[in-house]
Amino acid sequence: MLQVDQLRKRYDRTDAKAFAVQEVSFNVKPGEFFTLLGPSGCGKTTTLRSIAGLEMPDEGEIRIGEDTVFSSVRGIAVPVNRRNIAMVFQSYAIWPHMTVGQNVAFPLEAMGVPTAEAARRIERALEMVGLAAFRDRPAPMLSGGQQQRVALARAFVKEARVLLLDEPLSNLDAKLREQMRVELRDLQRRVGTTAIYVTHDQEEAMSLSDRVAVMNEGRIVELAPPRALYLRPRTRFAAQFVGQADLLDCTRVGSEGNAWIVDTPLGRLRTADCSDAEAGASKTSLLIRPEHIELRASPENGLNEVAGVIERLVFSGRIVEYIIRAGDRLVRVQGTSREIFEAGRQVVMSLPPEHCVVVTD
Amino acid sequence: MSAAPQSGAWSSPSGSSGWGARLSAAAVALLLVYLVIVPLVLLGISSIRPTGFPLEPGFTLSNFSKVFLAGDFGRLLQTTVLFALGSTALAMALGVALAWLVERTDLPGRNVFRVLVILPMATPPVLLAIGWAMLLSPRTGLFNLLLKDGLGLSAAPFNVYSVPGMIFVEALALVPTAFLFLAPAFRNMDPSLEEAAIASGASTWRLIRKVLLPLLWPALAACAVFLLIVCFVVFDIPGTLGMPARIYVLSTRIFYLTADSPTGVPLYGQVSALGSFFLLILAVLGVAYFRFTRESQRYRTISGKGFRPRQASLGVWRWPAFGAVSVYFLLAVVAPLGILIWASLMPYQTRPNLASLSLATLDNHMDFLRNARLITATLNSLTIAIVSATLVAALSLIVSWLVVRQRPAGATLIDNLAFAPIAIPGVMLGVAVIYVYLSLDQVFPVYGTIWILVIAYVTHYISFGSRLANGVMVQIHPELEEAARASGAGGFRVLARITAPLVWPAVAAIWIWVVAHAMRELSTALMLASRNNTVLPTLLWDYWTGGEPTRAATVGVWLVLALALFLALWHALSTRSASRTS
Repeated sequence: MLQVDQLRKRYDRTDAKAFAVQEVSFNVKPGEFFTLLGPSGCGKTTTLRSIAGLEMPDEGEIRIGEDTVFSSVRGIAVPVNRRNIAMVFQSYAIWPHMTVGQNVAFPLEAMGVPTAEAARRIERALEMVGLAAFRDRPAPMLSGGQQQRVALARAFVKEARVLLLDEPLSNLDAKLREQMRVELRDLQRRVGTTAIYVTHDQEEAMSLSDRVAVMNEGRIVELAPPRALYLRPRTRFAAQFVGQADLLDCTRVGSEGNAWIVDTPLGRLRTADCSDAEAGASKTSLLIRPEHIELRASPENGLNEVAGVIERLVFSGRIVEYIIRAGDRLVRVQGTSREIFEAGRQVVMSLPPEHCVVVTD
Repeated sequence: MSAAPQSGAWSSPSGSSGWGARLSAAAVALLLVYLVIVPLVLLGISSIRPTGFPLEPGFTLSNFSKVFLAGDFGRLLQTTVLFALGSTALAMALGVALAWLVERTDLPGRNVFRVLVILPMATPPVLLAIGWAMLLSPRTGLFNLLLKDGLGLSAAPFNVYSVPGMIFVEALALVPTAFLFLAPAFRNMDPSLEEAAIASGASTWRLIRKVLLPLLWPALAACAVFLLIVCFVVFDIPGTLGMPARIYVLSTRIFYLTADSPTGVPLYGQVSALGSFFLLILAVLGVAYFRFTRESQRYRTISGKGFRPRQASLGVWRWPAFGAVSVYFLLAVVAPLGILIWASLMPYQTRPNLASLSLATLDNHMDFLRNARLITATLNSLTIAIVSATLVAALSLIVSWLVVRQRPAGATLIDNLAFAPIAIPGVMLGVAVIYVYLSLDQVFPVYGTIWILVIAYVTHYISFGSRLANGVMVQIHPELEEAARASGAGGFRVLARITAPLVWPAVAAIWIWVVAHAMRELSTALMLASRNNTVLPTLLWDYWTGGEPTRAATVGVWLVLALALFLALWHALSTRSASRTS
């Protein structure tokens, strides 16, 4: 549905090395929910705006369906209004001089859709976002969440092949954000549109997406479904960006099948299965997520078990966060409130081999 | 959350601007240089020409020596400084008191006063001066007569044709400006700063000295410098009240050397020499103003969080304070306008009492509606005001679109060029424009027509128009336009359906403001006046200086009526645009 090929964009024409985006390539399948995730300044918004046509890349090619909308080689740059896209903006960009209905009607008016059909489509779009009763309300008289829904209705009503979303939830408060997240995913599934989503919030990316592209310094660092990205990241950056992570330096000393035996500051550990990428890397680290570590009162089988003392703990209801001293190293562990170990107590940390993941720099 | 190059300001979508923007930027910059810089350069050149005409040959410093070595130059300077400082000090004192009472105390009716304060601004200063001349002139002034009779005095206690008289009337006229400047500073001061001081055990006096004054200081200083600039520049009141008594300030001296010079020929060379000196003072004040406003930005004590300002309780002083504020409005609006209305109903200037009430007639007003000279002046005024306002609104919009949205190379220059005319006094702008169009008479024969006034007004009011347009343009998020493009709308549809409706209230507000101010502008009009471009303010001036006070009053009454209407419209529109773009 969407193909982005070798996209490059300089942000300073006079500086050949200052790239906002470089060598960005990806394919999005029809109906897929695809997310560009990264810290601010990583190039995700530039990529999205290049797809929309709001920015002109310097090199590369972008295809929406069968249409090439941008190609630096062939000299193609289709203007925004003739691309088969719809877009939701961070500021919602609801036109304050129009009513809700007029806002949603605008794309149809611009495309010259006949009145009767337009009325039907507006009705349906407003119903979809639960704002049918607000049609004649002036747009500024809406709450943030309602404005967000108008923006979604306005985007859906166009029935474009690709829906572009630029951090649409970042201006909402936390509770509303979670609720809208669910609604958004639901809507996209029902309509079956292809969605490209930009966010810096890893939880949002995980819970919404079919696949996530983690970006850093203008490049895609890793591209994978959320679960793989979280449980089996390949790079240090992605591992740290998508969740809490303790990274230990590690040196390979042997292997068991595809799994490695490594030396770490916590001692000798067995890891999850590794690939050639890790084998070829000059520097590797071991990732253990705090919630994957199990605390025990005493050792069980000796495999990947490390003894330690609970230095301090923070109780926050659902979870309990421990800082555990093992030798001269502090390890973060997240437990549930089912069983709580008090500070000062001797414990054994069990690090399940399948969750000891080797990542490269 | 976007690409690194994006700055805090909403810049153009692609970061660099297209050819269209660059071409229009060049065109606008050239136009502004022509409107603003060329007249000033010619003014400078004129000051070293023996004839005073910039294009004629020769070099001389005699213009400077004649002006600066003349015996009364010291006095001129002294009067100017005294008038400017005195008016500023009095207006500041009254403005601070009014702002504090309205914003920070339980003064009765403070919300009404907050709205009423724009009333004095609807009164052209020249009318305020004429009104006060009718009240306090030593021979016929109503108040003087009443006091003489009431107290049995032999001579009139007040003479408005004096420096103190000028200061008094000028201060009355400037109080609203001071109020509008200072009220936000009083309103926005976080009460927790005061509460913290009180909680630390500070006495009231200590609180004022150590906390309030330091916090308000930048706003106070900026306001005072702004008023000082206005007082150095102003012509209307010193012209009406000072010139009859041969009391001159810089601006009236320039007018005198041009219009009433002893030789009968305008002394353009000396005018330019004086003008150059004038500009120097203004440049110094302008720099000071910018420094103080920068300072007050830094001091912005206040965050976005909402709070209720601490309100002082006036106690037994509530009603006396109410009385004092009412007296101000009585002096600034009711008394001068009342006497003008009275005079406009009289066949000749009389003392208002029951006996003369029988003389009341509408003859002056009927005459106003029939007199060909008045009709021409009204039509001229309207034409000039409407054409200038339309041009200013259009140019302001283009300037702000370039400066805020497109930001091509040279955007800052355009911004500054558009703002600079604010510091050029009306009389000087008048003289400078004369030089340009006397020099260009073969190409643009506009000298002596109403169009030379249009050019001068556009130059003058672009400074205000571009400021207002910038403010609105900044508030319009570029994503609003991008969303329209992403919705499938082409360039023209985006402009017609999104951009234009969003900026329309601002355009209307600029338009009405310029109409209202162009209708009342006196000093530039006087400098550029000729037989064929009489406007209402110059006609009013002619009647007044020609000894026809009742006719002058009639013109004034109609002018105030029209201005009040326009200002009410402006107020309504600007509050609407403020609520909409937020």
